[in-house]
Amino acid sequence: MQTNVVQLRELLREKFPGVRMTAADPAEKAAAVWPTGVATLDMALGGGLPKGGITELQCAHRSCGSALVLTKILDQIAAANQIAVLIDGQDSFDPAGCAEAALRHLLWVRCRDAEQAFKAADVVLRDANLSFVVLDLALNSPAQLRKIPATTWFRFQRIVEQTMTTLLVVTPQKLVSGADARVVLKQRFNLNALDRTEEELLRALRVEGEVPRSGQRSETMAAEAG
Amino acid sequence: MFAVIYIPDFALQAVLRHEPELAARPVALLDTPERQTVVKQLTRAARLAGVTEGLTPTQAMARCAHLVMKSRSLPQETAAREVLIQIAYNFSPRLEATADGVVTMDLQGLPLSAVDETQDWAMQIHAAFARVDLNAQIGVAATPDVAFYAARCAAPVLVVGRADEFVPALPVEVLEPTPEVFGLLRRWGIRTVGAFVALGKERVVERLGLDALKLFRRADTETVRPLKLVTPPETFSESMDFAHEIETLEPLLFVLNRFVGQLAARLDVLGLVVAGLDLRIKLASGEIYERLFEVPAPTSQAETLFRMLHTHLESVRTDAPIVALQLIARPSDARAYQFGLFEAKLRNPNQFHHTLARLSALCGAGNMGTPVREDSFRPDAFRMETPQFESPHATTTGDRYLNMLDATAVGGAFPGLRLRRFRPPFHADVELQNDVPKFIASLRLNGTVEAAAGPWRSSGYWWEQSKLWHRDTWDVQAGDGTLYRIFCERGEWFVEGIYD
Repeated sequence: MQTNVVQLRELLREKFPGVRMTAADPAEKAAAVWPTGVATLDMALGGGLPKGGITELQCAHRSCGSALVLTKILDQIAAANQIAVLIDGQDSFDPAGCAEAALRHLLWVRCRDAEQAFKAADVVLRDANLSFVVLDLALNSPAQLRKIPATTWFRFQRIVEQTMTTLLVVTPQKLVSGADARVVLKQRFNLNALDRTEEELLRALRVEGEVPRSGQRSETMAAEAG
Repeated sequence: MFAVIYIPDFALQAVLRHEPELAARPVALLDTPERQTVVKQLTRAARLAGVTEGLTPTQAMARCAHLVMKSRSLPQETAAREVLIQIAYNFSPRLEATADGVVTMDLQGLPLSAVDETQDWAMQIHAAFARVDLNAQIGVAATPDVAFYAARCAAPVLVVGRADEFVPALPVEVLEPTPEVFGLLRRWGIRTVGAFVALGKERVVERLGLDALKLFRRADTETVRPLKLVTPPETFSESMDFAHEIETLEPLLFVLNRFVGQLAARLDVLGLVVAGLDLRIKLASGEIYERLFEVPAPTSQAETLFRMLHTHLESVRTDAPIVALQLIARPSDARAYQFGLFEAKLRNPNQFHHTLARLSALCGAGNMGTPVREDSFRPDAFRMETPQFESPHATTTGDRYLNMLDATAVGGAFPGLRLRRFRPPFHADVELQNDVPKFIASLRLNGTVEAAAGPWRSSGYWWEQSKLWHRDTWDVQAGDGTLYRIFCERGEWFVEGIYD
């Protein structure tokens, strides 16, 4: 097994995230986040989704654009030649709305309810091969979500910290205790939105972001354009 | 020079190979040579307890209350014979399967000049067999027969330099005389091979007959008989017929774990790894359950291989109890594995494979994988395929069509909001006003339709009745602002999904 210097550096960075690789490492901060490819979202998150952490994408309403955002994130992951895992809490993902390249980089786990989705997440997060995981609970009912103990998120947090996995949880309500970042999609699209292109829709997104950092003040940002 | 690998009490060791913890305990191997079951071979602990060959089971138990009795197993002896030849072949390409538990190797061409070198080499053979739980004794001498005698006396290795000094000192039993001849020699006071040879060939043959010639031939220290060379078998298999039917998973996994360990060790000794496993389970009904496993990254790590089998068997249910088990390993060369710089490579393909197996057991095999869009305009047309993240993604003719579908979307990108589907679409009662949906009633969606756009008519598979579809699709905005896609097919309304 041979690795070159670039691969070795990446492996060391993932294994020991706190250790600096060079005397001055300004790129370290940029490398700690995963850009989503959606400008309004990245601005609200301070650059992107935190690696080795949990981000909650909360849908303030239905038809807020979360599925659109999700497909753009999958495109971004495919463009980076990485593997994405989508744990679909209610088997609602539509492959027809996703680019071919994104589908080829996707492992889709179709679950029947939230309990099964959490069990699947537990299995997937422990696999160090998989660095980006989406847990989509947008269509799961509040009754199903109430059955999930809050301690589950703490357990997931310990796992992703060790494996440096990026976990994005799409939720219909505030759910993730101690998320490393939280974004709320506040937009409610009407029927006219079906005639607009995705660029127009992404520009129209109303996003409120919160990126609490341990020992630091929490930052709340809102981005609105278009 | 020749070397002989001798497995003492071969049939017993073949059985105990999968239960090495019993080797230190009193164990007797039973056989039924002439319609009567008797003790054939036994461990040292059983011998010390007073058990001997030829006793019936009852007599043996009377001598040792804690005696463990095992039946002779021909499949396991076959596997042990394969192991013996395969491992021996690793040390010399010229070998003969002399007898059960005995292999003779021709050392011609091997760089073994000094006695120390030969001793070390023989100890490596002993260590190789110890890894597969076989206690081997190795003898090295100038002729095959003397090497065999040396192997029988070895503890565990014996290199004979002067055969003319070694052989005469051996007890006369090593010549394997018939019981009558042996009794006669005892009465004559002949205890050693040297004393026997000193009697003189002609005089002994005159007294004992032509059978004595065989004994003199065996006592010869100079004749080199030709070996009947064999090639090692190409199968790596472990099997067992269970004494009792197995109805639960735990005892099956116990045996399977031993099999995996043995196969991995056998291949590891030969510098090979396991590329695939063939699991065959025989049921009491006569059926055979068979499953082939491909190891994504060939390995000799028993834990990884066992986990793969364990995960699969957790979801297997049989109609009858299990009576026999066989596991066959497909070998492969160990290969160097280099991470790609630009491709998405799995760091640990075996771990990923295990994850897929666990997800498959949790969600169902068809509910996990990579979605591939079908070449069809039928709504929600896709199939699930096993992820191939290690394979290069060359564009084929089929892919070109699908890429064209991507490109023909509005503005070169997918139009608008994406659909979150309900699978299956749920039934709804829709009230129309001027042919436009105005009110929807269903289990999950109730209320007025604030705005509606449509209908868009689509159909397909008109040439095949069973797959024919024909629907009128509407986009509607419900009273709470949620955007839905509904359709009418054959007079019935369904809610297909939510635009999000």
